[in-house]
Amino acid sequence: MTTTTATRPPPPGPRTPVTGSTRRREWGVVPALGVAIPGRQSFTVWQRNCDVFLQLWKAEFIPPLLEPLIMFAALGLGLGTYVQLTGDVEYMEFLGPGVIAMFSMFAAVFEGLWGAYFRLDKHGTYEAILATPTRPEEITAGEILWAASRGAMNAAMILLVMLALTPVYGLVSSPLAILTVPVAFLAGVSFGALGQAYVSQARSVSQLTYFFSLLVMPMFWFSGGFFPLDEFPAWASTAAWFTPLYHAVELNRALVTGNIGWGDMEHLAWLVLVLPPLVWLALWTMRRRIVG
Amino acid sequence: MPAIIRAAGLVRAFGDFRAVDGIDFEVQEGEVFGMLGPNGAGKTSTIRMISCVLPITAGELYVDGLDVRFHDREIKARLGVVSQEDSLDEDLSVAKNLAVYARYYGVPRAVGRARIAEGLALMQLDDRRDARIDELSGGMKRRLVLARALMNDPRLLVLDEPTTGLDPQARHLVWRKVRLLRERGVTILLSTHYMDEAEHLCDRLMIMDHGRQLAAGTPRALIEQHAGRDVLEVHPTEAQRPQVLAYLTSAIGAGGRIDEIEDVIYAFGTNDEQARRVATIVGDPYRVHFRRANLEDVFLTLTGRALVE
Repeated sequence: MTTTTATRPPPPGPRTPVTGSTRRREWGVVPALGVAIPGRQSFTVWQRNCDVFLQLWKAEFIPPLLEPLIMFAALGLGLGTYVQLTGDVEYMEFLGPGVIAMFSMFAAVFEGLWGAYFRLDKHGTYEAILATPTRPEEITAGEILWAASRGAMNAAMILLVMLALTPVYGLVSSPLAILTVPVAFLAGVSFGALGQAYVSQARSVSQLTYFFSLLVMPMFWFSGGFFPLDEFPAWASTAAWFTPLYHAVELNRALVTGNIGWGDMEHLAWLVLVLPPLVWLALWTMRRRIVG
Repeated sequence: MPAIIRAAGLVRAFGDFRAVDGIDFEVQEGEVFGMLGPNGAGKTSTIRMISCVLPITAGELYVDGLDVRFHDREIKARLGVVSQEDSLDEDLSVAKNLAVYARYYGVPRAVGRARIAEGLALMQLDDRRDARIDELSGGMKRRLVLARALMNDPRLLVLDEPTTGLDPQARHLVWRKVRLLRERGVTILLSTHYMDEAEHLCDRLMIMDHGRQLAAGTPRALIEQHAGRDVLEVHPTEAQRPQVLAYLTSAIGAGGRIDEIEDVIYAFGTNDEQARRVATIVGDPYRVHFRRANLEDVFLTLTGRALVE
């Protein structure tokens, strides 16, 4: 009697494979997107970069501590003494949030641009990874996550420096400042994605410099990190609005000073909403570069 | 027994150029199968399609019974690939290279540790565990890439020109390792443009040129079928050339053939006696070789060109 269920004939129905349409996707590519959705191998790619970083961590940790210190000394203590801002804000205080955002951007861009280019084109790292059960999209996703992680690490380091200087210069005035680290990660994803998309088109190391001079440096100078954009012509602040760095700087300023309002949600929303198209662009262009 | 690789009408095009132009072949479990051909024959494209790195343009390709178009992950998990470039991670030590690679395959840590030790021992790299990659010689790097390709205990090992760029000594060591793996029952697909490599290592092979398959079979069968038993190879001076050619043309019967590559004359279907006569014309025994035919001669017969230019 107990065997009835086992011997029951299979229910009638179409004899197509039960796996359904997802199985027939070529290498996981979703037709509407032209790319596969990255899976957990992305994290393994991230881990590889992390391993390399941890091997060299002593060397890698010095610059993010040193560079902001130099900037605080030169601009905060040097130039800043000649700067009169509206309100009773010291220039050093004004500078702090921007420094977190700017040097996080540098970390993410260096990793996502030069690091990624060498792994793609010079060291055959991508090719070696691709021979394992890893898809091109997962390499890109891992690289973007890693660039963002480097950005976040730098933000944390700089924040520590600023906390150490706070008794003297009053740099950090809100515990919300800790949230500049996730902001750096968020902005880092967009920098990492832009980097992957650009690297996928680059044919030589020297071409990477253009990304830096034409995109990163203008962002660096004109994103409101060094001076408020209010006094600038409208077109300049409009242009700044379209860069991730501007929103990261504004958000950081609100978090570090504690003067945060609902209006700042605009910056957060911008940083989040720009990610899907940017990440898609990175996945799509890099897939085309790798797979052809 | 089912074939580990089955290709039918396989095509890979890059724009108008067909790197692989409709090839059919099967690789059986436990054998060493070779693809022999000059640069640009389509060997690397074929290997990249098998390892699910390059999409196929047309035809069919099954690896271990799985369609390469849909089962990239499953197939990659069963393959070990030694690419033409070493592509080792210069930022990581020897052992760490293997550990990171094992992680891509999702090999459990303890299993991975055992395989790293085993792989390093097998490839005679135990004492280099903690070395940096740039401290290794070319031969050591190649063996490390071999060890790396074994991290997932693959069903099939794919070697793309495994000894290109190595000095003879390092080359023989790599060959020994490949033979060792074959004895352990690993199925191997290898590409090469060295006929001695193909002859030494392969149970069966196919000869490729311009993306097409020219012939396939065991090395011996290919030689017997296409080049015959012996070849008379003559290196005459320019002055002697017409006389040598005239003699050979008259001496060789209907079954014979004469090919010229650069300043060397190859005569197929000759005999001892004719070789002696040619030697008297040339006058220098070191410039006349009556020898066993090899795969190089097969390629010459099939294409009229030398394998390695």
